Amino acid sequence: MTEQQYTYEGYPQPHDPWQYQEEHQLYAGEPQQGQAVRGEVTESGSWRFDGQISAYTDQQTYETYAPYDPYATYTAPAPAPQPVPAPVAPEPVPQTPGYVLPPVAESAWEMDTRRSRLLGRLALLCILLIQAGLSLRLRGTAFQDEALYIASGHYELANLLHGDKLPVDFAAYFSGHPKLYPVVAAVVDSQFGLTGVRLLSLLFMLGATALLYSLTRRLFNPRAGLGAAALFSVLQSTIVLGNFATYDAAAIFLLALAAWAVVRTDRMNDLAVLLAAPPAALAFGVKYASGIYLPTLVLLAVITAHRHRGLRALVRGVVLGAGIAALLGAGYVLSGPLGGISSTTTDRAKGTDTAATMLSHSAEWGGLVFLAALGGSVAYALRARMGEMPWLGAETSGRWRRAALGLVLTGTALLAPAYQIHLHTEISLYKHVGFGLLFAAPMAGLGMARLVGPHFRHPQLGILLYVLTLVFGMVQAQRAYSFPDSTQMTAYLRTVVDKKGTYLAEEQEVPAYYLRDETDWTQWQNSYVMDYRGKDGKQYTGPDAFRQAVRDGKFDAIVMHGDVSPGTYAAVKEGLKNNSHYRLAAVFPYTTSSGEHAYRIWVKR
Amino acid sequence: MTFPSTSARAIRPVRAIAAALLAGALLSGCTTFSDDGRNQYERAQGEEPGATADATESEKPEPPYDVRPLLQPDKEYLGVAADGAPKKMDAVKDFAERAGKKPNLIEFYSAWGDRYETSLVQNAWDYGGLSFIAWEPFDVDLKDIASGKEDEYIRTYARSVKELNLPVAISFAHEMNGFWYPWGTKKATAAQFTAAYKHIHDLFDDEGATQVIWVWSPNVVNPMPKVKLKPYYPGDEYVDWVGIIGYYATDGPSTWDALYGPSVTQIRSFTKKPFIIAETAAQAGERKPADIKDLFQGTAKRKDFIGFVWFNFDKETDWRINSGPLSEKTFREQAKDARFGFDVTKP
Repeated sequence: MTEQQYTYEGYPQPHDPWQYQEEHQLYAGEPQQGQAVRGEVTESGSWRFDGQISAYTDQQTYETYAPYDPYATYTAPAPAPQPVPAPVAPEPVPQTPGYVLPPVAESAWEMDTRRSRLLGRLALLCILLIQAGLSLRLRGTAFQDEALYIASGHYELANLLHGDKLPVDFAAYFSGHPKLYPVVAAVVDSQFGLTGVRLLSLLFMLGATALLYSLTRRLFNPRAGLGAAALFSVLQSTIVLGNFATYDAAAIFLLALAAWAVVRTDRMNDLAVLLAAPPAALAFGVKYASGIYLPTLVLLAVITAHRHRGLRALVRGVVLGAGIAALLGAGYVLSGPLGGISSTTTDRAKGTDTAATMLSHSAEWGGLVFLAALGGSVAYALRARMGEMPWLGAETSGRWRRAALGLVLTGTALLAPAYQIHLHTEISLYKHVGFGLLFAAPMAGLGMARLVGPHFRHPQLGILLYVLTLVFGMVQAQRAYSFPDSTQMTAYLRTVVDKKGTYLAEEQEVPAYYLRDETDWTQWQNSYVMDYRGKDGKQYTGPDAFRQAVRDGKFDAIVMHGDVSPGTYAAVKEGLKNNSHYRLAAVFPYTTSSGEHAYRIWVKR
Repeated sequence: MTFPSTSARAIRPVRAIAAALLAGALLSGCTTFSDDGRNQYERAQGEEPGATADATESEKPEPPYDVRPLLQPDKEYLGVAADGAPKKMDAVKDFAERAGKKPNLIEFYSAWGDRYETSLVQNAWDYGGLSFIAWEPFDVDLKDIASGKEDEYIRTYARSVKELNLPVAISFAHEMNGFWYPWGTKKATAAQFTAAYKHIHDLFDDEGATQVIWVWSPNVVNPMPKVKLKPYYPGDEYVDWVGIIGYYATDGPSTWDALYGPSVTQIRSFTKKPFIIAETAAQAGERKPADIKDLFQGTAKRKDFIGFVWFNFDKETDWRINSGPLSEKTFREQAKDARFGFDVTKP
């Protein structure tokens, strides 16, 4: 604008009707001190603005007149006295459009780091609150595994602190190191009980979601980060594990921490990636099955650095791999033999579950997020960006890198189902699916962002995906989180047990945990394996052992429901035929998602 | 500045992804939200599938009564069957006054088809007596009971027992080895009796009615020595007490050993379960005081006898303890024995 400018000397007068407009000008970024006020002296000698003072030059303005101000220090030569002409009608203002889009910002909102960080964190907080609500909504008494780990933790803790002898070699059959999570769980349990241990798991899962957001944000953008966190937070496995006192939650958190460290150190020194080694190694120690995801971490270390240092990125992978291996080696030497690794993880007894069932179940549990990740991977491989900022260039290099990232992350989701299909066992698959989806979630988040499209073109699609995942997660979590309510059973057993008796119990960990002040771990006989020398001098194994032991009246109490060990239940029932040692003492019905069942307790007469 | 024509290229993958996701959702929705899936979900919520929310009743938090201490108490039961009891306890109180000791076992009779008389059991319990119900299968065939035709009634009965949660002794089809009842030897076989007995017991177990003390109650073998008892025995797992029934009649055996001995010998050949004399009394007559003394002393002498139930009725003949002053006096003297009577509510 090249208009004649007059200098307005001094400050606005009291009751200056233009003060607001001037302040408005100030706000709009016009010159500040000694503002230039555009206008002219009218023929009548009054001051007339030119009507174009606003910064919003495209808006309709009005003719305005200022009253004559005799004190204004206008020094222009006084016009020659002339007859005052009649006032002139204002000139018509040229027609402008009713509304014009404001100028397009240089970048999407998420590029404004301060604002986007705040908004992102607020959205993440909502996601975490929903996740916490979904987890806390589940209720129940201790599940078999929870009881086992916490109870074993108490014995391990006593062993660590006072050198007490362990009742059994937990390391021989645990699927994680018994001196890691169980001990932590036991410490929390003695302070806050089972609820406290479950809340610890919730914290782990919330932490994992937050780390997932952070690492996806760094890998891609905040929108993808929010998508990843949102989808991961409502998965069945996430909801269940957030209220489940087993080492799964801890392992997922540690894996997320390791992955986060890998991504966070992508531009740092090669050695910085070693920060990811301790959580990764610890994740393996906490739950051996986490080991299957360590290669993903190593590959991720290479791919994330490739962008910045090309082939030298391989060094990062080697460094991380070596670091994890060294830590694991040291841990193994320190901890001694761990039979549990082979019996539970590497060389687990093959089951009879078919591949088709496991595939369909895996699809039910994580199929939606997996598909989103697949879509995200394809979209990412095709185009690095959505084109919201076209001047940045539509094409970017590194298609292979992008494709590899998608492949590694999305492919990781398939590891657990594939491995369990290989083992023909579906045990814990509903939890393990969540481990893989932690890695696929960034791609799923990206897929969700792409689905929503540039400038939030299709928010309804993103909402649809989230809501579908949420509904599936909620319903499936409710079904998975359904185990016998043992309240009455343990309350009754408390009146029966003492320090000397021997008790046969299906899921014996549960009463052994709840009654650990009254009984010792070894007093509880499980319903899976038993070797027994009968009173007739014969050696029995398997169901025969249970049958004979019941006939001989070996147990002081028997607790069965037949839900977990139907074979043993049948054998026990046979043993109870024509058996005057026992008398049915109590029947406590309970309902789980698989139907109606009942604890049956027999006691010695 | 030119904008690349993103629309065509950007939207196609979006459509593809959206379509794939929807298809996936539909597929997995088929199982998760199937009828079966919904049932599983509702059960996991602790609801009856398809039931309205208020239809579920809350569980009773109180643990089932542990009857074990009552099965073989250190002391002897002093039982009574008296007119109108335990609906009205007057007769029992009168008996207690005359006997000088409160009875702790109250026997009464229940016909097949009667509901479980929870108020009677509660009445007896409040008085300090364990209820002993003789469950008499009149008007029903033992075969029908065994075959399941009466299951609904039996289950309802069992549920009431469980709900009341008080111990109760039940003897089903007593004197089955006699010929005089419709379930006796003339109308039913031993196999039919045991099948019906076991079936009832199994249904009670199934319902979780563990408060029952199961009494197998044959008559003494003296009147029909040819009927062997073993075929009538359902098995140790089904029996808590052997409730032998035998009266001191003026024309019958006059000593404890003669009256119960032959039956006990026979029964001991197949079970070691404790004995209780489920019904006894002495016929009014000169021998009655002696019979009463014999009953007390014979019962107290044997460790495997845990007491008796006095049939205190004036029916057929005057079986009551107060049929004569000497009888009453003898009963009172004998009942003083500290071995008889104890608090069943705190055994």
